Amino acid sequence: MQINFVGLVAAFAVFLGIWWGHVAVRKIEAISGRLWPPILGAILLGIIFEIFAARTESINLSAACGIIGMTLLWDAFEFYRQQKRVKNGHAPANPNNSRHAQILAEYPEATTIDLLKRSPRGREYSAEEVAAMKASVE
Amino acid sequence: MNWFGLQLCLVTCCIIGLGFVWVIRGERYLGYLWWPYTMGLGILLVIASLFLSNDWVSALLGVMGASLIWGSTELKEQAVRAELGWYPFNGEKLDPPFAEVIKKQRAPHL
Repeated sequence: MQINFVGLVAAFAVFLGIWWGHVAVRKIEAISGRLWPPILGAILLGIIFEIFAARTESINLSAACGIIGMTLLWDAFEFYRQQKRVKNGHAPANPNNSRHAQILAEYPEATTIDLLKRSPRGREYSAEEVAAMKASVE
Repeated sequence: MNWFGLQLCLVTCCIIGLGFVWVIRGERYLGYLWWPYTMGLGILLVIASLFLSNDWVSALLGVMGASLIWGSTELKEQAVRAELGWYPFNGEKLDPPFAEVIKKQRAPHL
């Protein structure tokens, strides 16, 4: 029985691509003063991976590069979505980042608190409870 | 030209997109405590992919498996999002078998 590794390779590419993209987008968006350089960087890197996926003879490399490239192109869009989350208070703002400082000044929902850092409790939070969480930092 | 990676990445994009849907809906109606079952299913799919000689079938099983494993790590955070009011909250969830045991485990999150 021949073992076929292409599924395992694709699985690793998907999992690591999503995981590292998830972490990198949040970190880079929080420290980057401007949003377009990381967006452009992710698009360029994604295209390079796709070109490599199209040119390699190896089916495993083609699968891995195709998937990693696609997640990088998705990450480019996620930079924009992450900034939107910061504006809505769904992701914490970094007050040391001038772009985020401006968001904190202009968007009343924005906060430096990571509201997701808690375990589920099984009941909805009231608007007052969420407001109290946000007020606990100032 | 090798079209395998490019074609696979388009299908992968759709499968990951479906991941958003099942994590949001699954958490709303079933709850995050199902995470060991979705993770187990994902691991089984990845293992099964090793034994399929057809490259497309193997790759798709691997992608679906990995997407299920990732989604399992997202369920807990999605439960908090719903409790915070960012998504519709449903208090009547269908608990999985062994829910009490699962509650004592730390739900994975990356």
